Amino acid sequence: MRRRIRLVVLLASLLAGALLLGVPRAASRAQAPEGTAVITGTVHGKQGQVVEGAAVRLVAQGTGDELEGGVTQADGRFALMVPETVPDDLVIHVERAHYEDMAVVLDPEAVEGLRQGQPVALPDIHLLRQVNASFWIATLIFAGMLALIGLGKLHNTLTALLGVTLIFFVSYLGGALNHDLFILDFSGALRYVDWNVIFLIMGMMIIIAAVERTGLFQWLAYNAYRLSGGRVWLLIPILMLVTGVTSAMLDNVTTMLLMTPITVQIALTLGISPLALLMPEVMASNVVGISTLIGTPTNILIGSFAKISFNGFLSNLTPGVLLAFVGLVIYSELVYRGEIHGSESEEVSHLLLERLAERAKITEPEDLKKAGVVGAFMLLLFITGEHVHLVPAVTAIMGATVLLIWTRPDIDEMIEEVDWTTLVFFMALFIVVGAVQEVGLVSVVADVIGRLVAGNLVVAILVVTWSSALLSTVIANIPFTAAMLPVVGYLTATVPGAHSKVIFYCLSVGSGMGGNGSLIGASANMVTAGISERAGYPISFAYFLKKGLPALLITVGLGTIWLLLRFIVFPGTAT
Amino acid sequence: MGSIVSAIRGGPGSKATVARAIALAKETELPLYFLYVVNLDFMDRVGSSRVHVISEEMHEMGEFVLLAAQEEAAKAGVEATGVVREGKVTDEIVALCHEVSAAFLVIGRPRAMSGDNVFTDHQHPEVCRLLESETGARVIIPEAD
Repeated sequence: MRRRIRLVVLLASLLAGALLLGVPRAASRAQAPEGTAVITGTVHGKQGQVVEGAAVRLVAQGTGDELEGGVTQADGRFALMVPETVPDDLVIHVERAHYEDMAVVLDPEAVEGLRQGQPVALPDIHLLRQVNASFWIATLIFAGMLALIGLGKLHNTLTALLGVTLIFFVSYLGGALNHDLFILDFSGALRYVDWNVIFLIMGMMIIIAAVERTGLFQWLAYNAYRLSGGRVWLLIPILMLVTGVTSAMLDNVTTMLLMTPITVQIALTLGISPLALLMPEVMASNVVGISTLIGTPTNILIGSFAKISFNGFLSNLTPGVLLAFVGLVIYSELVYRGEIHGSESEEVSHLLLERLAERAKITEPEDLKKAGVVGAFMLLLFITGEHVHLVPAVTAIMGATVLLIWTRPDIDEMIEEVDWTTLVFFMALFIVVGAVQEVGLVSVVADVIGRLVAGNLVVAILVVTWSSALLSTVIANIPFTAAMLPVVGYLTATVPGAHSKVIFYCLSVGSGMGGNGSLIGASANMVTAGISERAGYPISFAYFLKKGLPALLITVGLGTIWLLLRFIVFPGTAT
Repeated sequence: MGSIVSAIRGGPGSKATVARAIALAKETELPLYFLYVVNLDFMDRVGSSRVHVISEEMHEMGEFVLLAAQEEAAKAGVEATGVVREGKVTDEIVALCHEVSAAFLVIGRPRAMSGDNVFTDHQHPEVCRLLESETGARVIIPEAD
């Protein structure tokens, strides 16, 4: 009975998510009743982004009476109804936390028009940023969060929750004492949570949970070994391809969690160091993982923010990823040539080989078949869904629900499989990043990068790709990407030719492939090192840096070449 | 009557430990147990939901590491048993030593690098003393490891 209730609850939450994401939202545009004189306008920030939630008041300047008031909508627009008696001196006051107050005086011609019942559309209103105490506090909280995550002193989710708590503490308690301390309130914070991302990740977690128990990874790895005939030079690219393709469809961490132990066993059987197989594998996971929308959390963030479809990633990024993959294979063969030649003299242990073969069996063939059918159906929907405005999160939720109903798993176990801590991490992260957006830090960064780029698309491509790649080696790439999205959005809106969303692809390449630059560059690296160390083959920070940094330079270099070819040399081919 | 327990991690760092344990088993004719302890501390940063899945995989990997050591022992004419446990390394070593009435405990030298599952140089003498007092077994650390 309890299980049934839990199943119903889980399915209901998935259904609610589908409805939440699937039902088109009512247009957010401010509208006024017909037949009434109205004043309309749009409020923007300095960099052209719309400003939501700004208080707009129509005031009679002489008396100071407020005649009408409203708030800007999600598209930055407002509409104010004008009273029947229109005074001569009308002024519109626009106020918003973290911006300087603005007053717009209506000219006599506009006032006369209003008296005759004609609507008045104001020119766009641009607010100036206000840098006050809240700016520095929010910046400090965000930097502290990045530092704690990078140093691993506190669990990522706890760190992000701590950031949220501090933001609310300062906003509610400090803000009550001094308005300059106000950062963000709860309802404002919720606006920054991207539910597309949350539900897409949750749906994919359920799919992954169903697949990881089937023995598929072990089967794939063993058959990679068989296909290579035990020749290490051939085994390296096959395992890289298997890991890469799996990472593009599932998440990198799960892929490496399940591939690493079996890879260690293959290496021990062959009598070679597992690092010769593991390093190319994890680097391939980081590189090829970004070829699809669902391959990495960073791509999910980018896709949702920039409205880039599954096909968008496939057509604009996948060829570049394949180019980088070829470069990575050649690099791996060269770096581990010593192991490759050494393996020729090693005798394969038949006892270990037998054991390996015993394990390489699909343990849940029925579940795997069902997951395969659902996965193929989801892939079809991911590819074709954009034609009916089906967002990827809905596809993931639908796929997860169908799979749950079809396979009827133990619902307690299935609930445990959903990584709620990660989902909470994302929600908290969105709020902290929202806070630095709110106080204007993101605008400042966007302004600096905008000046550096100076409207040149090639420079923008190079700056965003390489800065995100190099920063991803030391900063956790998920919060980094989340914070960079509005910056890249600004560049996309202001740099001529960037409307193709090329700079978002640069962010994807940089933050994804940049993970190869150091051990802490990607969670998949940490997981691989953790398992490898427990098999007696530690991967030190220095070792990873030595092997990974050249890989970063090669793959990001090839990725950059692809982006330049696709969007600068042959821009007509970009979709 | 007693036995030999040899706690290993696999890899080049365990070669001398395995060799010493095998030689000791030949010399004393005591039953030899290779122990591998699964430790999932590194999962703290990844997420608790994946722990049970990786736990199974780590057990399999541990058995594989032990199988390689057992094969080595078999080549030397020694029959060894592999034991995989999950938990804190010292606790599991002590528990197994009690279970099999260990007379000798063969463990590796500390690593230069620190880690969740290794004894550092600083900790090593203390750990050895603790193990000897807790298990009653003589702790042997091979010279070259």
